[in-house]
Amino acid sequence: MADYREAPLATRPKTLDPNEYFNLSPEQRRAEEARGAVRANLKRQYQLQLNNPHRKELIEDPALTRWVYARANPYAHFRPTNKTSLLGAMFGVVPLFALYYIFKTDRV
Amino acid sequence: MLKILLPTIMLVPTIWAVPAKYLWSTTLSYSLIISLISLTWLKSSAESGWSFLSPYMATDPLSTPLLALTCWLLPLMILASQNHTAPEPISRQRTYITLLTSLQIFLIMAFSATEVIMFYIMFEATLIPTLVIITRWGNQTERLNAGTYFLFYTLAGSLPLLVALLLLQNNTGTLSLLTLQYTPSMQLSSFADKLWWAGCLLAFLVKMPLYGAHLWLPKAHVEAPIAGSMVLAAVLLKLGGYGMMRMMIMLEPLTKELSYPFIIFALWGVIMTGSICLRQTDLKSLIAYSSVSHMGLVAAGILIQTSWGFTGALILMIAHGLTSSALFCLANTNYERTHSRTMILARGLQMVLPLMTAWWFIASLANLALPPLPNLMGELMIITSLFHWSWWTIALTGGGTLITAGYSLYMFLMTQRGPLPAHIISLDPTHSREHLLMALHLLPLILLISKPELIWGWTA
Repeated sequence: MADYREAPLATRPKTLDPNEYFNLSPEQRRAEEARGAVRANLKRQYQLQLNNPHRKELIEDPALTRWVYARANPYAHFRPTNKTSLLGAMFGVVPLFALYYIFKTDRV
Repeated sequence: MLKILLPTIMLVPTIWAVPAKYLWSTTLSYSLIISLISLTWLKSSAESGWSFLSPYMATDPLSTPLLALTCWLLPLMILASQNHTAPEPISRQRTYITLLTSLQIFLIMAFSATEVIMFYIMFEATLIPTLVIITRWGNQTERLNAGTYFLFYTLAGSLPLLVALLLLQNNTGTLSLLTLQYTPSMQLSSFADKLWWAGCLLAFLVKMPLYGAHLWLPKAHVEAPIAGSMVLAAVLLKLGGYGMMRMMIMLEPLTKELSYPFIIFALWGVIMTGSICLRQTDLKSLIAYSSVSHMGLVAAGILIQTSWGFTGALILMIAHGLTSSALFCLANTNYERTHSRTMILARGLQMVLPLMTAWWFIASLANLALPPLPNLMGELMIITSLFHWSWWTIALTGGGTLITAGYSLYMFLMTQRGPLPAHIISLDPTHSREHLLMALHLLPLILLISKPELIWGWTA
């Protein structure tokens, strides 16, 4: 379908209009446009800051701030699950006892 | 001894009396003169090991390198703090330098104490200026949490130490280090004696820090301003190591049995904290965890009680003090330009600041223990004496060395190589002050290659 191009002076029939391919409802189309508007606004703010010649500091990205905070504070949101308990035991408890056993038997 | 201590005490009135225009240059040159005079301690000549003796303070080959490092660090701290305190009012700047100087005074008295109670009091006293520096001059709101963790971890560890020292005073009648080495060894066997043993060492293990009790360190290092990070990494951790080395003499014969858990924690901590370094996104946090990793090796070297272990521990403490402080200064140059500690926000700096890259390169190589720097010599002595202790430790220490090389190179490549972010349009050029700071950190390290006798302690 992507290779179809209409004849020079003809118009494309309605059924071949790319915007109608997926049979989206009007609500979905409105939501799509609203999201596009938000994206365009964010991009505009970013580009205003990016091209501002008087800017001296870095552009602050709230997503990056949240990500760094999440990487720096794991214990505040820690939840013991099967996987985390297994990992904790495997890397934090078992090696200590294993090493104690190894050193004790090696050095008698 | 008073030649150094009294000028350091008199630096405090000088700070408050000097006109504002000359504050930083005066304090810098004053502390630099004090540090150059402190190098005279390195020439110790007494037969018994103790030199520069006075009733309360003395130096010996164990404390001399640490004292020289402490005195050397004050001008470096003043040099590093000059920029970020510039917007503040003058009296606040004076207060800041006063805090740094008072920390210096307590540290000199701690390292040169002959009486263990005086060492303990100074050990506790150093907490207060550090706490004020972290919680007042830190940059994020997490600094309050960091100060709390720092204070209470150290205090909880050191209260048993007070009880243990008082018990020791009761038993032996003296706590002077000059004579304690000659008291007959106590026959320690009961459970209470084992508690006493643990009480003696716990404070220093928390301070070093040992892997299980290390949580205060990344918080305190990350939230502290640059001078706080420098003094924490370079000297305060070594207080723990120094205390352990002093107390070990009296703790026979229980150490052979009771040290196993702590050696295991220290060695496993080398691997674990090294691996955490590979996952860090925050630059200062990476350097803080690397400190825990190196000090884990130091703790293991001290706990096995061999002379090579002690020597390796002392060499590694001095070398790591200089290297870690240098890395924090480099991280601070990044922070002052971008006001962010995230590594991916400031990459590819080799394109922009190539001379700083040279310093990053040398500091990263020092961190990964490149021969012939003393970092490697200390690590090598600890690793070989651990190998003699038990062959299986080589798996842990070898893996630890590998991971250390990994994260040091990772840190260098992340900050210096790679694409420069498109949104960075202006960075200050490197100030001469920063070049001087890095040179003063790394030059002693390089010079120590040629005279390691200065830092290898008693095995002279």
